[in-house]
Amino acid sequence: MSEPATGAGPGSLEHARTQIGRAFPGGEYTIEPYQAWLFADAVLADPADPQPHPVFAWWASVSAKGVSWDEFFAWFGAGAEDGPMFGEHETTLYAPLRTNVAYAVTGEVTSVDRKQGRKAGAFDIVGYRFELHERDSGVHVASCWNSIVFPRRNA
Amino acid sequence: MTVAVGDRIPPFEVAEVSAEKMKTIAALLGDPNPIHWDLDAVAALGMGDRPINQGPLNMGYVINMLAAWAGGRDRVRRFRVRFRGNVLGGDHLIASGVVIDVRTEDGVRLAECEVSLDVVDGAQVLSGTATVQLPEEAS
Repeated sequence: MSEPATGAGPGSLEHARTQIGRAFPGGEYTIEPYQAWLFADAVLADPADPQPHPVFAWWASVSAKGVSWDEFFAWFGAGAEDGPMFGEHETTLYAPLRTNVAYAVTGEVTSVDRKQGRKAGAFDIVGYRFELHERDSGVHVASCWNSIVFPRRNA
Repeated sequence: MTVAVGDRIPPFEVAEVSAEKMKTIAALLGDPNPIHWDLDAVAALGMGDRPINQGPLNMGYVINMLAAWAGGRDRVRRFRVRFRGNVLGGDHLIASGVVIDVRTEDGVRLAECEVSLDVVDGAQVLSGTATVQLPEEAS
């Protein structure tokens, strides 16, 4: 449920900024060969290519972040009914993705900024970043940065 | 492969966005949002009468274009995108891109590209940049 977006309580900018640096519980994700095949087929790429599609870096990170989307929204005093929207995404790949390899996912909130739109009114842009490492070798495979927009109609 | 600033990347076309592929992705990725597969839910939300394509698919079409051009998925080093609008079932899409910089880092040739995904005769639905590792130039 949306909280008042003023003062220092949940939903306020002050409270949201206290979440900067908060770590996700994280987890692990393994791309199964059948998943790589089906995703490639669905995205109109060659499913016979054994190299998982680069989009899996993003998907692995959000799947193994360790909290649900509703729990994540609540960190900022928001809920799905507030209409949060994905803003931007950036993936940097340092090594090719592979199937049947366990990836350890870690991450944290990196930024909170409040903006005022002419039509949309006040909204917060929250940045968060994930890192993917091969669990067994420790090889750093990818960084995934995202932003999400929380409307703040009461601000 | 000779690449220069201003070169246009061969586009990737999606002739008709498939509602069935959206169902596959919803099941595969565990995406519970019904706007991707339940037309009654789409209508109840006032979002029309066609399902909404998943963001990862939209991003994936652009990466397909880059991978085909550069010679493999492992050549896509970085991509940054902004989601600007919805893609609907049945839409005709074109992913396109242009080279804005070519450089060498640690002996590796890299192309910086501006990329976009557009509905044909419609709106731009995704824009961004990408870094792609280029094949060695023929000597």
